[in-house]
Amino acid sequence: MKITVSINLGGYSFNIDEDAYAELKRYLKNIEIHFANEESSSEILSDIEARMAELFRAKLSTYKKVITMEDVRNIISILGTPEDISDNERTSARDKFSTPGYHRMYRDPDHRIIGGVCSGMGAYWDIEPWIIRVIFIAFTAMGGLGALVYLILYIVLPEAKTTAQKIEMKGEPVNIKNIKDSVKEEFDNVRKNMKL
Amino acid sequence: MDLENTKAQMRKGILEYCILSILSRSSCYASDIIKELKEAKVIVVEGTLYPLLTRQKNAGLLSYRWEESQQGPPRKYYELTPEGKEYLSDLDKSWDELVESVNLIRTR
Repeated sequence: MKITVSINLGGYSFNIDEDAYAELKRYLKNIEIHFANEESSSEILSDIEARMAELFRAKLSTYKKVITMEDVRNIISILGTPEDISDNERTSARDKFSTPGYHRMYRDPDHRIIGGVCSGMGAYWDIEPWIIRVIFIAFTAMGGLGALVYLILYIVLPEAKTTAQKIEMKGEPVNIKNIKDSVKEEFDNVRKNMKL
Repeated sequence: MDLENTKAQMRKGILEYCILSILSRSSCYASDIIKELKEAKVIVVEGTLYPLLTRQKNAGLLSYRWEESQQGPPRKYYELTPEGKEYLSDLDKSWDELVESVNLIRTR
């Protein structure tokens, strides 16, 4: 013998076993939490309840009057748990862990000739540092202005020390993949230098 | 790369397009839409449909009306708005272009 509960779901009345009722209540609560941030979440919820009622009705007949645990589990598998639903909606996991891409100018110590100012500017604008170096040398030759600007920039610009800063210098978003790529590149450089 | 994620991404875009396409033929009750989507195997769990319908309705692509039913409470019938029709014809075009592009690459 089992106790049944009488519920109103989507405008239909059902008799449902007590354990099945607890399971159903838990499921609907999870769905509610899942869609809580959604605009018109209550509408989504009542649509889902209406569909549920329809599916439950198909399970009942003249010989079967009560919704059981098995019915509830079956209907949950048709409608999907919040995880199943968000699985279908999820955006790329990689995007989720990245901060918006900062783009800042740093001094680049890895490719420097003097202080890394030109190589840093090159990385920032994605142009060959040699072009910037030629411009600086030209301005230095014409009265020393280039050297003065270089000195000011050397003081003002911070050095890109951490991997995250080096990624920011190039304007790429700081995420796990970019950090991994950057570390690998650094490792390769070290290995190359050791051989020389 | 994550195959399941890539597949889910593909399905997601297609699902929205399929819903509008089904509704372009006639106004539909949500369960009719589900039946078609299941037959075409573009939906895995039914729960995915309802947030999409509500989002499309909020975006002004769909509207709904309540219709009496002999079997029970009134049912929600969805239909495309003029804006939704225009949106769909844009999607039709870009779908054709996509298929053409992919075929061009695959058959090369």
